[in-house]
Amino acid sequence: MDVRYGVDLGSRRVKVAAEQDGGGYRYLGPFDTAAFYRDHVEPGGGGGTLLYGGLGMEEGLPLAVTGYGRARLGGGALAVPELEAVVAGVRELTGLRDAVILDVGGQDSKALLMKDGRLADFAANDRCAASSGRFMENMCAALGMSLEELGGHWEDPVELSSTCAIFGESELVGLLGEGVPRERLAAGVNHAILRRLLPLLARFPAASLVLTGGVAYNNALRRLIGERLGTEPLVPHPPDFVAAVGCCRLGARVEEGDDGRI
Amino acid sequence: MARIGITTTVPVEVIYAAGHVPVDLNNVFVSSPACGELIEEAELAGFPRSFCAWIKGIYGAVRRMPDLGAVVAVTQGDCSNTHALMETLQCEGMEVIPFAYPYERDYDLLRAQVEGFARRLGTTLEEAQAEMRRLDRVRRKARRVDELSWKEGLVRGLENHLALVSCSDFEGDPEGFATKLDLLLEEVAKRRRDEGFRRAEDMVRLGYVGVPPMAPELYEYLESLGARVVYNETQRQFSLPFDTGDLVEKYRRYSYPYSIFYRLRDIRREAARRRLRGLIHYVQSFCFRQVEDIILRRSLDLPMLTLEMDRSSRLDARTRMRLENFVSVLRKDRG
Repeated sequence: MDVRYGVDLGSRRVKVAAEQDGGGYRYLGPFDTAAFYRDHVEPGGGGGTLLYGGLGMEEGLPLAVTGYGRARLGGGALAVPELEAVVAGVRELTGLRDAVILDVGGQDSKALLMKDGRLADFAANDRCAASSGRFMENMCAALGMSLEELGGHWEDPVELSSTCAIFGESELVGLLGEGVPRERLAAGVNHAILRRLLPLLARFPAASLVLTGGVAYNNALRRLIGERLGTEPLVPHPPDFVAAVGCCRLGARVEEGDDGRI
Repeated sequence: MARIGITTTVPVEVIYAAGHVPVDLNNVFVSSPACGELIEEAELAGFPRSFCAWIKGIYGAVRRMPDLGAVVAVTQGDCSNTHALMETLQCEGMEVIPFAYPYERDYDLLRAQVEGFARRLGTTLEEAQAEMRRLDRVRRKARRVDELSWKEGLVRGLENHLALVSCSDFEGDPEGFATKLDLLLEEVAKRRRDEGFRRAEDMVRLGYVGVPPMAPELYEYLESLGARVVYNETQRQFSLPFDTGDLVEKYRRYSYPYSIFYRLRDIRREAARRRLRGLIHYVQSFCFRQVEDIILRRSLDLPMLTLEMDRSSRLDARTRMRLENFVSVLRKDRG
């Protein structure tokens, strides 16, 4: 039985975590964000209203929301800062209290420093989404590969030099035309993403590294980060629902009267 | 009398002493309802998309100011993008007056620069010196606004920003601008009795370092999060809050055009006395000052958020997310 909900309205996907009576979570989604707004949110003044029925959610239960779109969901939902939600979710799903968290989302990458269970500092990517889930999706489309397949290649990478996601795609297409094997191109994409993530990680000493967000499903990237930092990143399960779970935890704390945490 | 454009703070006493009116082109651009169009105009003329939006905006603004008599080009102490802008304007027939701040803050070299600048405009250092006494009366008011920001916490971040940033040209009308400051000071004095006005004391006290923002709504957004900027580094420098009656010395103490290490001394001192909990380092996309972030982070022992903006005068969702999380981290630091 559900007791409360956490919703992460990401730039590409919406993830819903339903906390169960007696512990544990039920996961709904991920939904395409645009489709989610169209199908499950009733537009209105002061933000939209979530249509619980179509999602298999129970009306009237506490709801906490995070992500870029959260301001657009009114209806008494508790709005939670995104990075706080990631930290709370990592705590819940891994039991760790001290770690560096690398959260790679649809169009944003952030490195978070968690100290004693709290967000102590963070670094975010610059104004370019070429180290994000969206970049990976586009590259997969060009290569005709699934994300899972892309995650199978890390050796003998082709150097991709473009700084922009769009040019990166053109570059890839050009190399395909030259007859470069897809495996080497896929490895090149993974190395390109890694290169962009490293400056974020350089800010914090990573004693234990946790990888969250949908990109954490990419095996090759996990492996490359591990090689580079000398420590295999820990991936909470499911990595893309971490912020949604965090919403549930922060919502529960507020219900208990601890509003100093948000 | 002519209107003389400036792209950064220069000894405006010289311009006023020569009977002209300075116009800070940054302010013309950023306060224009068509600021997006101005940037577009520069891009249509051939300025790259991956290029400082301030420069493009200034270029667009100048093109729409047919009454501008000349533009002062700071050839040292600002940036090479300004050089390119000036040469482009020159190529289009604009009169350009060079001015250089000596990197090592050498008094004699700076004096020679101010004298040359005065000669070029048909005035003298002595006349500019006399003009400084008039402008200093206005600067003292701006300084008072700044003091009330951090000592009594009665001034909003945006009010502080506007009062100080406008000292670069005094809006072309020092007396009119002084009246505006007087009104603001009266308003602020009333807040002492207003229990409803939030004091900085009850908020997260922030410092803002780097060039002034492309999106001044940043200040109001921070207020809505329960944080207030009580230190605007560069804007405060524009108001030259230095106790000296010597014009050359005044511009020698001004930090913006000199080395980052000299700037750091100022930032450290102000961060301590204003009891700042964190710093926002604003960097303009494609600006060399983005690299200064490395030095600032290594040199300052304060939580710092680096905020990069390009061309939009609105805060986008990413920027809001960063600000919100930064304020929330600082609030928890309090324990």
